[in-house]
Amino acid sequence: MLFDTTQLALERAIEGAGRRHEALAANLANANTPGYQRVDVEFHGALASAIGSREALDELSFAPTRDASAGAVRADGGTVDVDAESARLAANALEHQAAVQVAHARIGILKAAMGTGV
Amino acid sequence: MSLFGGLEISASALTAERLRMDVVAENLANAQTTRGADGRPYRRKEVVLQERPGSFGASLSTAMNRGGGGVQAAAIVEDQTPLKRVYDPGHPDADAEGYVAMPNVDTVTEMVDLIGAQRAYEANVTAMQAAKQMFARTLELLR
Repeated sequence: MLFDTTQLALERAIEGAGRRHEALAANLANANTPGYQRVDVEFHGALASAIGSREALDELSFAPTRDASAGAVRADGGTVDVDAESARLAANALEHQAAVQVAHARIGILKAAMGTGV
Repeated sequence: MSLFGGLEISASALTAERLRMDVVAENLANAQTTRGADGRPYRRKEVVLQERPGSFGASLSTAMNRGGGGVQAAAIVEDQTPLKRVYDPGHPDADAEGYVAMPNVDTVTEMVDLIGAQRAYEANVTAMQAAKQMFARTLELLR
């Protein structure tokens, strides 16, 4: 196999961060929706337990779930805190960038080994 | 495609927040209108936002709607608070006692709504920029 499970895990991390971005963007979109309960994609835990196993990594799915633990920050029951949501969004984008850069570097190593240059 | 979904979600919010700004503008423009479209004094309008049923992750999640499809305007409703009664006997729409029913538009409330919509718009533009950058970076894997 050309790519090991680490590379696969990086790919799934990139995908998970992409999914999480959608959930966080949906929260920001619904910041003014009465009674809206925020959603999130908890991909870290699932990814961590799947690392090392190709099958487990293949089967990972990143579905958004309602965050029942979030307290209401609006009188109408909405649980979206725009500041916290923006911070999560920025952190998630950085995580995504980190995974992409590591994946890129590893592909570069493969290219170097194949003699095609970085 | 995951990241394009993110752009679409943020775009739905831009549309919704812009509609809120439009309605605020309409309210401010009609703050003194005693003859609305129905011939009665203008009533303040308000946008009711609603979560748009989620389509993203549909292939992964169950049939249960987990949300995350952005936002949409459910309705534009009229504010049913009482109209302001202003004493102005010379006004053509004054009643027998000389009072005119003026729209229930409060300029301060409208300005606060406008600022809220504007800031929400900006937050969603930021989310859109983040989605764009993430997509561009992922593309760099091909280089």
